[in-house]
Amino acid sequence: MSRDTTYRPEASRASRPLLWIATLLAIVTMAPVAWLVGLSIKDNRELMLGTESVFRVPYTLINYINILYSSQAFGWFFNSMVVAIGQTLGVLVLSSLAGYAFARLEFPFRRTIFVIVLFGLAVPEQAVIIARHQMFNWFGLHNTHIGLILPGLSSAFGVFLMTQFFKAIPRDIDEAALLDNASQLRIFWKIMLPLTLPAQATLGIFTFLHAWNDYWWPLISATRKEMFTITIGIASSQQNFAQSEGLGFLSAQAVFASLPVLIVYMIFQRHIVTAVSGGAVK
Amino acid sequence: MSASIEITNVSKNYGTLTVLDDISLSIKPGEFVVFLGPSGCGKSTLLRMIAGLEDVTAGTISVGDQRVDTLPPGKRGVAMVFQSYALYPHMTVAQNMSFGLENIKVSKEEIQRRVHLAAETLEIAHLLDRKPQKLSGGQRQRVAIGRAIVKEPKAFLFDEPLSNLDAALRGRTRLELAQLHARLRSTMVFVTHDQVEAMTLADRIVVMHNRKIEQIGTPITIYRRPATRFVAGFVGSPAMNFIPVQNISQNGNGVAIDASGLGILNAELHLPTAFSPEGAALGIRAEDISVLPAGQSGIPLIVEVVERLGDRTLIYGRLSDGTKLTAEADGRAQVNAGDRLEIALDISAIHLFGADGVAHHAVGG
Ligand SMILES: Nc1ncnc2c1ncn2[C@@H]1O[C@H](COP(=O)(O)OP(=O)(O)OP(=O)(O)O)[C@@H](O)[C@H]1O
Ligand SMILES: [Mg+2]
Repeated sequence: MSRDTTYRPEASRASRPLLWIATLLAIVTMAPVAWLVGLSIKDNRELMLGTESVFRVPYTLINYINILYSSQAFGWFFNSMVVAIGQTLGVLVLSSLAGYAFARLEFPFRRTIFVIVLFGLAVPEQAVIIARHQMFNWFGLHNTHIGLILPGLSSAFGVFLMTQFFKAIPRDIDEAALLDNASQLRIFWKIMLPLTLPAQATLGIFTFLHAWNDYWWPLISATRKEMFTITIGIASSQQNFAQSEGLGFLSAQAVFASLPVLIVYMIFQRHIVTAVSGGAVK
Repeated sequence: MSASIEITNVSKNYGTLTVLDDISLSIKPGEFVVFLGPSGCGKSTLLRMIAGLEDVTAGTISVGDQRVDTLPPGKRGVAMVFQSYALYPHMTVAQNMSFGLENIKVSKEEIQRRVHLAAETLEIAHLLDRKPQKLSGGQRQRVAIGRAIVKEPKAFLFDEPLSNLDAALRGRTRLELAQLHARLRSTMVFVTHDQVEAMTLADRIVVMHNRKIEQIGTPITIYRRPATRFVAGFVGSPAMNFIPVQNISQNGNGVAIDASGLGILNAELHLPTAFSPEGAALGIRAEDISVLPAGQSGIPLIVEVVERLGDRTLIYGRLSDGTKLTAEADGRAQVNAGDRLEIALDISAIHLFGADGVAHHAVGG
């Protein structure tokens, strides 16, 4: 768990070339982002004369202020929030319950059902999208929040991850709780679930990011402008570049759109590291 | 508070595999009983059946005057200490100890009182706010015991609770467990494959082997008068010597035994008339074999290996016909590999085992 500080200096000397490569990669990755942020704080008219003006003062926050007043970005942002949070919560609840059941409960065809769930990992969204579109049509779910959230709830990956995580918790712990007179529900809620927090954080972040950045399904399902998610919204304004509100404004929207992702990362960074480093249950 | 445990005709199958076969055992209130046996003999399974973590395939189990084998684990009034301790990793020591009491709606003040009392007793009061990760093995062990104590159970069940501790700590904890038992006077059932733990802790030892109970008795009975050849060989270190018997003739007050390499021994020992020397063996512990001073003649032994344990010396050798024999001498004995010694057996300490494994003991042994 605790980081070993004593071996660091040695590692840094040995891995100096690696450090340079990593720095280079970071620059390559970050440059477009920096460019975007730069564009977003420039006046639209100045940008029209040439984008090299990014490197010159004056800078302005006018584009961000304009988002507040004069665009649909807020509505799209809200839609994305509803969808991403809804999907994240749904996936966490369903995957935890299913994972616990697969890992701990005895029921008929448990292994078979688990294998069927795993098949879900192998089926690409593209293969089922027409059938799904048709189905959602019947139920009148297109252009609704529910319609945008529902498909993301069946997370084969989530179920798989949580199953493995619950399996990794020693049986003795459940048994001790059984002897401590805890009901099945209380064992799940008070003992097992808290022990899977690192996995919950990881799964939650991945689900949120995936939902936030999802493009395909919202593009198909949300056809009315006010039901767009932020990804679809921004894409649609870029396509109408001629009538768009200018490059700076567009960039400000994009920065705005990525804020939640950034915030989520910053809040849960610690958990991601814990989960990935595997020091979860001990 | 402490209760008897009655195990009646209990069997356990896993599919077609029989792990325990028709076990009956009654444990008295306040008794310290140790299940001893080799790995895989079903000790843990039997303990877990008392706890309710495994179903019984057949038979009944009662704790006090209540039949429990149909009750869920939490309702049986027993507490268990696991080999792995099984502490809840995300809870503090105090929370670990209170959890079971909260589940049965004990009042906050009472929980506080019991937790603090137990923590004082076990000298872990200063650890109450720590999480298990931040404890040493020995401290975790105490917390696990504390978690059992606060429940004031009718019986304590221990599954090899000392096996994860280092030798010194194991010895100390063993002693403390004995003191704890003396103070609480609770019924305790303790599983181990360590015979020192069994000998030192038990009021009675239950030796298990091959799906069955081999013998139930006090530690001294188990050691001095083992019921079967298995018990004789399993308990005691070094293991008892078994010497093949060629012939036995019964005379008025005893038997004349012709054993490989030992010659004819006359012992006071009563055998059933039907006893057959076919496949029989004579058993004697190393400590009941003494090395004679130079000049005296007895049974010759060629020394192969000498182990000096400090307080005593173990001598591994062969009799004149090649039969292996282990003898014991005191710590200062001047013995070397290759020496030829003269030894004598304490004839009152011998055992005779029939081909069926049943033991017959010399009178006075
Ligand atoms: N769930 C199970 N399914 C099938 N066989 C099992 C199961 N649990 C235990 N066994 C078998 O039952 C036998 C007894 O197991 P048990 O754990 O009671 O042994 P033990 O005496 O406690 O051994 P040890 O000293 O190694 O802990 C073993 O042969 C084991 O393989
Ligand atoms: Mg065991």
